[in-house]
Amino acid sequence: MTIPRDDAPEMIVPALDAEPPVVERVGKGFPWGKVISYVVLSLFALLYLAPLFMLVNASFKPLSEFFRDPIGLASGINFDNYTKAWELANFPRYLLNSAIYTAIATAVFVFTTLFVAFPISRGIIKGGGAILTLYVVALFLPPALIPQFQLILNLGLYNTRVGYIMLFLVNAIGMIIVVNYIKSIPKELDESAAVDGCGYFRFVWSIVLPLIRPAIATVTVLHAIGIWNELILPTIYLTNSDLYPITRGLIVFQGQYGSDWPALASAVLMLMLPMLVLFMFLQRYIIGGLTSGAVKG
Amino acid sequence: MAISLVKKNYLFGQGRKRWVPWLLLLPGFGLYLLIAVGPSLATAVYSFTDASGVRGAPVNWIGFENYDEFLFRGLASRDNLAALQRTLIFMVVVTTVQFGLGLVLALLLNQKLRGRTFFRTLFFIPVILGVVIQGLMWQLFLYPAGGPVAEVFGWFGIQSEFLGGAPTEAFIWVMVVQIWANVGITMMIFLAGMQTIDETLYEAARIDGAGGWNLFKNITWPQLTPAINTNFLLNVIGSLQAWQLFLVLIGYRPGTQVLGYLVFAEGFGQTTGSVSAAFRQGYAAAASIVLFFLVLVLGMSANWIVQRRERKYLG
Repeated sequence: MTIPRDDAPEMIVPALDAEPPVVERVGKGFPWGKVISYVVLSLFALLYLAPLFMLVNASFKPLSEFFRDPIGLASGINFDNYTKAWELANFPRYLLNSAIYTAIATAVFVFTTLFVAFPISRGIIKGGGAILTLYVVALFLPPALIPQFQLILNLGLYNTRVGYIMLFLVNAIGMIIVVNYIKSIPKELDESAAVDGCGYFRFVWSIVLPLIRPAIATVTVLHAIGIWNELILPTIYLTNSDLYPITRGLIVFQGQYGSDWPALASAVLMLMLPMLVLFMFLQRYIIGGLTSGAVKG
Repeated sequence: MAISLVKKNYLFGQGRKRWVPWLLLLPGFGLYLLIAVGPSLATAVYSFTDASGVRGAPVNWIGFENYDEFLFRGLASRDNLAALQRTLIFMVVVTTVQFGLGLVLALLLNQKLRGRTFFRTLFFIPVILGVVIQGLMWQLFLYPAGGPVAEVFGWFGIQSEFLGGAPTEAFIWVMVVQIWANVGITMMIFLAGMQTIDETLYEAARIDGAGGWNLFKNITWPQLTPAINTNFLLNVIGSLQAWQLFLVLIGYRPGTQVLGYLVFAEGFGQTTGSVSAAFRQGYAAAASIVLFFLVLVLGMSANWIVQRRERKYLG
């Protein structure tokens, strides 16, 4: 994308004059390649659009209509199922719980990560290299599931908000992304700030942080999505339904009203919509973060 | 101060002020040791004990008992080995299909096509929706009593119970959803890699008369090495550890579980977490160490293949 194509033709034009190249001839014929591409892509897109359409369509049907004809077009658009699901599924409470867990855990994670990443990246503390190695190696260690549970249980934090939030305060991949990004900030900046008598905390917080905003945005978004979508940990750690995040709440709702697909479909859609809107705004950061390893390898 | 905690190039103050970076680093690093590294290493220790899920219950050292039971004893071990086999099948199928499909989609969407942003976004969206929404969407899509897929299958005279059908059938559908949900990441990583390939390479090759397949074989495939490596490793490791969709789509059904689900079920009960003496956390820890070694061995093999490829193409 970033490759400057403008200067390329200059090199190639003489050759084009000498002999009409294959590209030219292919270009003038019927664009079979494009047609086939569109056919394949459209068929594949159907696999993504059809489940979504089914969901929307079912959400507009009264239950009796759904049982009679699950796939026919809904006879009308009514939002009864949405109000029903909103009340029955205890949505406001679960959404609030999810929001609390996601916001607090992500904020603590980002704040603490900044102050681990900066000194490691700058190499100003002794043992910084060893600490970084510990973050990289941990990606390959065995799952921490069982001892983590024992830890939370013995701290008396099982089935509490604090215990649940604790599980999401670290993220090794996020740390590595931030460490790598800080390396792109020129070191001369440190010097001039120090000369001006700026303290360490103030330097990192009010000068470095704004400069590494893209990396912070990426790890914030990735970390937050992970917490928001987590299903296994609330299943393990939370038995009090007052504490459920929305994912767990939705599964419980399905257990109770499993055959009421119109209501369930409405619930799923109500949960999906804010995610889709958020994605539209943040997709640059999400995709950037997830593909960051691809280019360097 | 006798011991210096920071290196000489530390600029922000002298004397006691040199503690500051360490004090600020401590909360983050301490949490990391406490929540991630410590428990991770302790898994190996727990696998030699009879720990249960009850607070304050005595924990005894029982040596290799858990491993012996998990791998070699009675009917349960036969089920466990079947789950191990299923995990491998899941890994091979998901990795192969997701890798291949992701590559094809990326190649198609790397062309100048109208609407390619739409397609890219569409295929990527399930990734951010998470397993619960992915799973519920597909339960409805695979609704057996007259749902869309049932209808289409009906045209060809195929009857199916889908997720509620025979274990093999349910297992296949979970693989389908797993691939459907994650092919978007694979595609995006390939696309990111393709965008770094120098366009002039293609132009030069076209002048030499190279066509589609040759361009792919001699330019795209070797130049794509970093993205290929990332995707291959991510797919192998990810699919060995993936089991959440089993929980959402079919629950804990005999004849369908993979190792990850087994660990969860033994350690925390099959559906919900309520503290109980019945939870065999020591045993579950042993099972997760078995899974860990599987990931390690296969991950390292994958890495070895990747390295060899890299030497071949990049010297």
